Amino acid sequence: MSLVYFKNISKSYNGNLILDNISFVIEPGEFVSLVGRSGVGKTTILRLLIREEKPTKGRIFFEDKDISKFSPREVFILRRKIGMIFQDFKLLENKDAFENIAFAMEVSGYSEESIYRDVPELLKLVGLEKRANNFPYQLSAGEKQRLVIARVLAQRPELILADEPTGNLDPINKWEIIKLLSKINELGTAIILATHDKEIVNTLNKRVISLENGKIVRDEKEGKYII
Amino acid sequence: MFISLKRVLKTFWQGILRNKSLFFACVLMMTLSLLIFTATLIFRGVSFKLIEALKSKMDLILYFEKDMPEEDILKIREELLANPLISEINYISQEEALAIFKERNKTNPTLQKVLEELGENPLSASLTIRAKDSKNYQEIVNYIENSSFKDKLININLAENQKIIERINKFTKAFQLISFSVIIILVIISIIITFNTIRMAIHSLRQEIEIMQLVGASFWFIRGPFLIQGAFQGLISSVLALLILVPTILWLGPKIENFAPEIALSLYFWSNFGYIVIIQTCFGLFLGLISSFWAINKYLKI
Repeated sequence: MSLVYFKNISKSYNGNLILDNISFVIEPGEFVSLVGRSGVGKTTILRLLIREEKPTKGRIFFEDKDISKFSPREVFILRRKIGMIFQDFKLLENKDAFENIAFAMEVSGYSEESIYRDVPELLKLVGLEKRANNFPYQLSAGEKQRLVIARVLAQRPELILADEPTGNLDPINKWEIIKLLSKINELGTAIILATHDKEIVNTLNKRVISLENGKIVRDEKEGKYII
Repeated sequence: MFISLKRVLKTFWQGILRNKSLFFACVLMMTLSLLIFTATLIFRGVSFKLIEALKSKMDLILYFEKDMPEEDILKIREELLANPLISEINYISQEEALAIFKERNKTNPTLQKVLEELGENPLSASLTIRAKDSKNYQEIVNYIENSSFKDKLININLAENQKIIERINKFTKAFQLISFSVIIILVIISIIITFNTIRMAIHSLRQEIEIMQLVGASFWFIRGPFLIQGAFQGLISSVLALLILVPTILWLGPKIENFAPEIALSLYFWSNFGYIVIIQTCFGLFLGLISSFWAINKYLKI
């Protein structure tokens, strides 16, 4: 059973073709970098995967199920299985660090007991144990991104989508986040990293899918950033 | 189920504590809406009471010939009381009529002198008829004009009252229509005010709503706290509106009643207090819930 299967996907916005008949498969536990220039459709692929968008043509399968046929309830469950990490963090500004993680666990139906047990551990894992009661505006960019990763991990996802997660970070924080993602991947969670950071992709030495003009131009097992 | 409800309630309470200014802005606007609504309701109620009071003052007086024996007049009274259109008939004898006339004109020495010079009671005995409904006076007059005692009557004084009654009836109909339209318009205005305030409050939280959806929160999990908040705002606004209304009525009621005793504002307010509280609170809850539901749904998409 493949984790993700994009089958002949096309997506256009107002007649502009962003993705042109692309197909690829992602297996459980894989680490895949999606590379290409800005506007090439990397984010669109991620948005299609969590059903924030629907494809103009083609079908997307998650664990062999066609997600275009999902009911709203199935979409909520899909989003709990796929964690999203964004360049602009998307943290709940009215909730502190602890509550941001707890909220993700609450929507997934975890008990109060497991929330109070797991959240401090997750905060410790990402080095934010002393920031539990701080609100997002009180955190640095690196801390915010680590908090997002903790929130994603709280839902124990099968796949993590990271959309330019290091775009707003300084070099030190950038590599900390990449190390964290690699560690999570080693523990068995599949990761799709959308980036245009050549250095990161070449250092990772993992599978690379290169996009150009809405098409997949390369898909290499141990690829490099070549655009 | 219980855990979800507990979490929705927790999120609702956190939402209030962490967005206090937004919450109070909504409460203030809703209080204004409820004041408009309740003031219109009270105005309509008091106006109808006033019209009823004016209508109840209308009557029809039958003046009998002076030689008509009292027993015969009382028999006519009994006959008329059997008419289902009539609610009340008062008999005023010649002596009583004279006493009333003297009392009313005690400050008019000319009239007193004329009465003394006449030497006898010039006034007739009469029956004062009150109809159950002011619309029925003309029908009662028609009945009397076709009755056996018609020839014993000197005068039926409906003609002078009739125009007033017709005017009041026409005014009542027009007032019912206009006040209903005004209530509808004001209710729509208050819904628009509340809806826009709540929509703006929810609009400022649209990113939070988007994030909640991205982490897989169900629509009801997101919607729940906003709906409870809307209902809570309605409830608080209703209490605030009452806290403004009660002292206003206590202050304004006696002033209006001194000026125009027929406008029994305080009496209407206190005798309908329970009804006003229930209607106002229900309207507040409805406003809060429906506005929040509409506003939040705009941001819930799959």
